[in-house]
Amino acid sequence: MSTSLLDPDFIRRLARLRLLVRRRFAGTAGGARRSTRRGASVEFADHRAYSPGDDIRRIDWNAYARLEELVLRLFVAEEDLTVYLMIDRSASMAFGEPAKLEVAKRLAAALAYIGLTGSERVSVVPFGAGADQPLPPTRGQRRVGHVLKYLDAIEPSGETSLRKTVDEFLARRPRPGLVIVLGDLLDPDGWTRPLDRLLSEKHEPVLFHVLATEEVDPPAGGDFAFVDSERGRRVEVSLDRRARQAYLARLDAFLDSIQSYAKKRGLSYVQAFGELSLEDALMSYLRAG
Amino acid sequence: MTFLAPYNLAWLSLLVPLIVLYILKRRRQERLIGSTLLWEQALRDLRAERPWKKLTPQVSLLLQALIIIAGSIALARPAGAGQAPQGSRLALVVDVSASMAAREGDERRIDRAAAIGADLARGLPPGGEMMIVEASAEPVVRAPFERDATSLERALDSLTIRGARSDLEAAVSLAAERLRGSPEGSRILVLTDAAIDGSVAIDGHPMPVEIQRIGGAPLSNSAIVDADARARVGELDRADLFARVAHHGSEAADLYVTATLTGREGAIASRRVTVEPGTVESVVMAVDLPPNAAGQSPVVELRISPAEGSAPDALPEDDLAVVPSPGRGKLPVFLVGTAPAPVERVVRADVDAEVFRTDLQRLSERDEDADPLEGLFVYTGDVPEDAPPGDSVVIAPVADEVFELTIGEEARAPAILTWDEADPRLRFTSFQDVHLARLRPVRGPAARALVTTSEGAAIATVQRSNGETTVLGFDPSRSDWPAQPSFVVFFRNLLEHARARRAAGGIPSGTLGDPLRVPAPDGVEVTVQTPSGETLEAVGRGGLAVVPIPAEPGVFSVDVEGVPRFALRSLLDRAESDLTPRLEVMEGGERAEGALDEAEEHAESWPWVAGALLLLLLIEVFWASRSSERRRAA
Repeated sequence: MSTSLLDPDFIRRLARLRLLVRRRFAGTAGGARRSTRRGASVEFADHRAYSPGDDIRRIDWNAYARLEELVLRLFVAEEDLTVYLMIDRSASMAFGEPAKLEVAKRLAAALAYIGLTGSERVSVVPFGAGADQPLPPTRGQRRVGHVLKYLDAIEPSGETSLRKTVDEFLARRPRPGLVIVLGDLLDPDGWTRPLDRLLSEKHEPVLFHVLATEEVDPPAGGDFAFVDSERGRRVEVSLDRRARQAYLARLDAFLDSIQSYAKKRGLSYVQAFGELSLEDALMSYLRAG
Repeated sequence: MTFLAPYNLAWLSLLVPLIVLYILKRRRQERLIGSTLLWEQALRDLRAERPWKKLTPQVSLLLQALIIIAGSIALARPAGAGQAPQGSRLALVVDVSASMAAREGDERRIDRAAAIGADLARGLPPGGEMMIVEASAEPVVRAPFERDATSLERALDSLTIRGARSDLEAAVSLAAERLRGSPEGSRILVLTDAAIDGSVAIDGHPMPVEIQRIGGAPLSNSAIVDADARARVGELDRADLFARVAHHGSEAADLYVTATLTGREGAIASRRVTVEPGTVESVVMAVDLPPNAAGQSPVVELRISPAEGSAPDALPEDDLAVVPSPGRGKLPVFLVGTAPAPVERVVRADVDAEVFRTDLQRLSERDEDADPLEGLFVYTGDVPEDAPPGDSVVIAPVADEVFELTIGEEARAPAILTWDEADPRLRFTSFQDVHLARLRPVRGPAARALVTTSEGAAIATVQRSNGETTVLGFDPSRSDWPAQPSFVVFFRNLLEHARARRAAGGIPSGTLGDPLRVPAPDGVEVTVQTPSGETLEAVGRGGLAVVPIPAEPGVFSVDVEGVPRFALRSLLDRAESDLTPRLEVMEGGERAEGALDEAEEHAESWPWVAGALLLLLLIEVFWASRSSERRRAA
């Protein structure tokens, strides 16, 4: 297990948590999640008429005694959940102290740990130009190390494009699940359309918005020529009070738009700004479940 | 193009800080950040909120630079050719030849020249002065160097068309002479329609000479370029009218040539003639010219008018010619004293002369209330104290003073040196082999020598207030002259000259616009009525009343102490009737191409530059506002 992403004390706190899922998904194996399918759990769901070949152990004999008809008892299936950790690994994620990518990776590690220990299937989908192949869904506590190792190897580079990543992701027709997007969402192509597409494909997006401290609270003073790490664009800024206020106003508008979007669609939106807020943000999301 | 306030061009130096603002970069610390997405949006917000915009769009820089340039140039008062820089002098030479009376549109060329001159006068810079020279056959300074625009405009208004051809070279030389020692930047500006045969040199003067063309549009003009009325030999009161009609234009002209008599109704003859462009057609009409009830012969007016469908005529001044009637019967010739036999023989040989023998005694005994004798007096030897009205000839005078002339001591066998062939009395004559036995040379400040000898003038003439006298300082019978043809020709010319002067009213003929030189005693008021009915007045000084007249063709009625006279003015100049610009401007001995630009009235062009400045400002404001809207929309 990679100690750079998860420290033991944190792991102990994580062990008591489960991932918050607002929807129900159909899994591929029995698990701890309520499924959209009827299964073999203890929770009664419905009756139906017996058909030859049905498991006779599920025949409701009490009902037969009363009605003289063979009916089967149906129970809510409890199946596993697939968690897709979609990590922005573009060049912009390399910035911040600590780097935004590090924060995103630690969050992803924590979420993967929770998922794997909770019998969920976990997949990692890094996005950004030239990103590595996604880690296919894996299951079982024994695979935690494998997932963390995969996460640890992710390096920042290239331009971000959530839209392209989601398009490619959906093109593989993955089983609907929890899609946790971890990134700064500073995507010139926009972020609403890809999230809408995920929703339309029965996935449940969760947004972990990662921003660096200096992005949330830029220091005042100085004449700078800011160079965009992804697009190379150059913006000359004199960081006076007016410029800073204008930036913060734009940032607020940006964050408000994301919050408003998430609220309207019933999504979880978690802000992970800077190092200090990392665990609190994660806990707030997990405890909400 | 020149600048009347060149110091204002210093404002162009504002371009330097402007461009520096654009090219000077603030030293900025370069920093790589994750994304500039939010910063770009924030800066756009900032630019929209700021009262000033960032100096980045290059179109804006261009517009602002143009505004500064246009503003500076406007303040520097750019002026077209002819405007004088500050403190300098401008000599304006205006062509007043007849072709300047041509109309282009509703305006005469000379009026346009005057308007341009007035524009220049009003636009004189501080300390600037302007002079106006009238370029006619003999250039005249109409206004000396003057700063007052009103005075200059008055002088420009007084410019009058002269029928004679303009001597631009002489006018420019006169202006250059007056400009000698003027400050730097002084110049000569010539305004002409360039409808002049020949060339003018613009170099060789200490200051620049600019020639600007007035008008020059293709015009159609028909003109009477020659006219005459000659009596038919042997037919009483019958005459032939001759007219030569020229046409300049792009198409042939159909014209009516009509003859009328002054003061009488109706045409006496008319012809229709077609004249091809650039050609001259002759018209001859036989007419009756009976004298009026007072026995006076009328003046013939020949007028051309376009037939229906012909192009309008650009110069009306050459459409009318007035010619004297060929005579009122015969010319009375009074031989006073004993005229030399050869002279009497020649005079009597003229069928149109009626000869009377008389002497000074009989003339002095004549009743004062009787009508004055009118004709040519030929005195031999003695002359009266006061010359009678009319023309006279004096042969071999005895007295030392003859009609304002001095007769010198007798000289023997003087050699004839020169003779004036241009004088009408000496047409077709030669004194090559003429030898005089004795001569009393004719002298005097008023004398104009016609034939000069080694001892002085043998034949001279003097113009008096009431006539013209030709004096022969020798007796022709004491020379070999009567044996030569030139003797007969001279006396026939003399009679013809007297006849023509008599027919013309006794006032020297002239071309269009020439002032009338009316013989009149000192202090006597002369009244002149122009053909258009305007009345002019002048007072006789030195035996002459000089009356400036407008450039009107026709008969000018003159009244001198109740005695009616008339003067005739016609253009009759083919070159002046050709309105095509053809003057060659020479520089360095070669034709200077493009040196004859068309004059523009608004010579000072700063209002246009200022207009351009305002337009640029509007574009700049529009551009800036549109840019802001686009940013807000984005």
